[in-house]
Amino acid sequence: MLVVRPARSADLPALERLAGTATPRLTNLPAHRDRLEERITRSQRSFSRAVDFPGDEHYTFVLEDRERGEVVGTATIRAQAGAVDAYYTYRQETLIHASQQLNVRREVQTLSLSHEVSEASLLCALSLDPRYKGTSAESLLRRARLMFIAQYPERFADLLAVAFPGFLDEAGESPFWASVGEHFFQRGYQEINHIAGVRSKSFIAEVMPQFPLYLPLLTPPARAAIGREHPDHESALEEMLAEGFVRSRHVDIFDAGPVIKGERERLETFRRASWHPVRIRPAASLPDAEPAMIANQKLGEFRCVVARYALSPTGQLMLSPEHAEILGVEEGRAVLAAPLALPDAIDALDEGEL
Amino acid sequence: MRIRPIARGDLDGLQALSRQTGVGFTSLPDNREFLASKIESAARAFEERTPVDDRLYFFVLEDEDNGELAGCCAIEAQVGREVPFYHYRLGTLAHSSVQLDLHRTIDTLFLSSDHTGDAEVASLFLRPEYRGADRRHERNGALLSKARWLFMAQFRDRFPDKVLAEMRGVFNKEGVSPFWENLGSHFFPLEFNQADRLTGLGQKSFIGELMPKFPIYTTFLSKEAQACIGEVHEHTRPALEMLKKEGLRWEGYIDIFDAGPTVEAYIDDVRAVRNSTLCRVEVGAEPATELGSDTRERPEWLVSTTAMVGFCACWVGRGPEGEVITLTETEARRLGVGTGDSVRVLST
Repeated sequence: MLVVRPARSADLPALERLAGTATPRLTNLPAHRDRLEERITRSQRSFSRAVDFPGDEHYTFVLEDRERGEVVGTATIRAQAGAVDAYYTYRQETLIHASQQLNVRREVQTLSLSHEVSEASLLCALSLDPRYKGTSAESLLRRARLMFIAQYPERFADLLAVAFPGFLDEAGESPFWASVGEHFFQRGYQEINHIAGVRSKSFIAEVMPQFPLYLPLLTPPARAAIGREHPDHESALEEMLAEGFVRSRHVDIFDAGPVIKGERERLETFRRASWHPVRIRPAASLPDAEPAMIANQKLGEFRCVVARYALSPTGQLMLSPEHAEILGVEEGRAVLAAPLALPDAIDALDEGEL
Repeated sequence: MRIRPIARGDLDGLQALSRQTGVGFTSLPDNREFLASKIESAARAFEERTPVDDRLYFFVLEDEDNGELAGCCAIEAQVGREVPFYHYRLGTLAHSSVQLDLHRTIDTLFLSSDHTGDAEVASLFLRPEYRGADRRHERNGALLSKARWLFMAQFRDRFPDKVLAEMRGVFNKEGVSPFWENLGSHFFPLEFNQADRLTGLGQKSFIGELMPKFPIYTTFLSKEAQACIGEVHEHTRPALEMLKKEGLRWEGYIDIFDAGPTVEAYIDDVRAVRNSTLCRVEVGAEPATELGSDTRERPEWLVSTTAMVGFCACWVGRGPEGEVITLTETEARRLGVGTGDSVRVLST
């Protein structure tokens, strides 16, 4: 049985393992014991603090496999992408260079450093044990965060963003970094990624070239990498697009991976989540029903599981005693439920823009 | 040989010159109508019938033996007044982080119109038959280049504080500018020569419209293109040396098309402007070693008249003694001066 819950101090070794096995390595999940320990402490503080509006809180969750007694995944929400530091992205822009005299009109693409995403809440630092890839556990880990946000809207921004790891070649190098950042830092992608993770990314970004970059001056492989996700994250991106996120003009400043964004009200999980009182029934007697994410209503003891969306004729959600115990709910208490399945993804750039 | 303002009767001669200038010399296209208007506007400039900031003083080098035009040169009183005048300024940005143990500087090209309002010396051309090894001692190129300084010294109040000269940039064996290929061609849907020709015709507005407005980090350019920045075409090197001797310096401005350097100075600091002096003419007898005989002596003294309309400059055989310069009858005739007239003299 799998459950998503807030991370605690005892999860440190598991987080360290998950940070080390993430493909590709994530900037915001460095395999660095001290940083991970700080992350857990900060998260615990965030869960226990009274919050009226989003600030520098980080909420780190883990996915626990109760049968194995192991933590097999982790994911984080940053209440504000750029709360203390600015959150840097490159924004893709188009400039029209036109000459009446020559009767020509030419579109020139640029990348401009932007802080626009700083205000959004960021879903980040997701790493899952490879054995669970492609299962409902992966969706649970990724989207349980939305179930949390749905319950505590005041703690988060209306706009959510996710930065996907960018395209890397077979050698694990980023063609975008090789054509942009490396000119300025003379360090390889993996190295700078590690430094950024251990220190902070904005700390690097502050030394990035501040003027916009003209795309025609970048190498063709670098241009091709702009807005392109790492191959291992294609299905994850697709799921979030199905959830209602849309591609934005923003890309990561290191590897040009896509930044997607979603307004809360337009996301499927928020739109379809509803509260139900609990009725506990033996597992064997539960009717067949589509799978759903079920979350309890306890901030610091937040739990989210995947169970059948079995409703009684009077609108009560029927849970097995095992699920009820994991969620820490008794009969009659309310839980939040949302279908796990999503409609087909529409992969389109949002014309409305961030 | 003598320098004089271009005259309305010089159209055929100027067109003949334009046919010899070839690719890369954009200010003299082989276009009769354009040349005629250029002559007209120059003539009006010397007659001081046009606003002082809008004048192109266009000079020719005349071979009195056959009446042909041997070359030309010009001074634009103020650039960038009617159409924008662009350069790239090569700048440096520090790129440093103590925590990353990083300290570098990044070269950056900033689009600039800093030279708006400056004077420009330009359009210097000398026909090949006047600059071969057997004629080098005549110093015709130096005459074309330096006569302009005497003109500016004489009519100093018609010019602004600063003067510049744009030098031809580097082209590879195929006649292609690597800088253009790597940068300009991304933004201008034109061949280099086409773009350069339009610029020469003064139709520069397209530059502002199509040009990248943000600074360019040179590190994004190819090594070959980066190597062009501030470098001159090998044929331009002597001209650059001559300007440098007058005190013009490269301050980091380059041509936006070929990255050739623009050199500049305060006019009052230009060696020839500072050192030229006014003298009284004494017409004397022809000495035994008249200039122009086949002595192959390199002339040292440059003399110009002090009138704008009849301005004239040429080499003479000797310098002044005190405030008097003795000219031979030939020299005096060449300059159109007589005993008692004032002339401007420069030791070169």
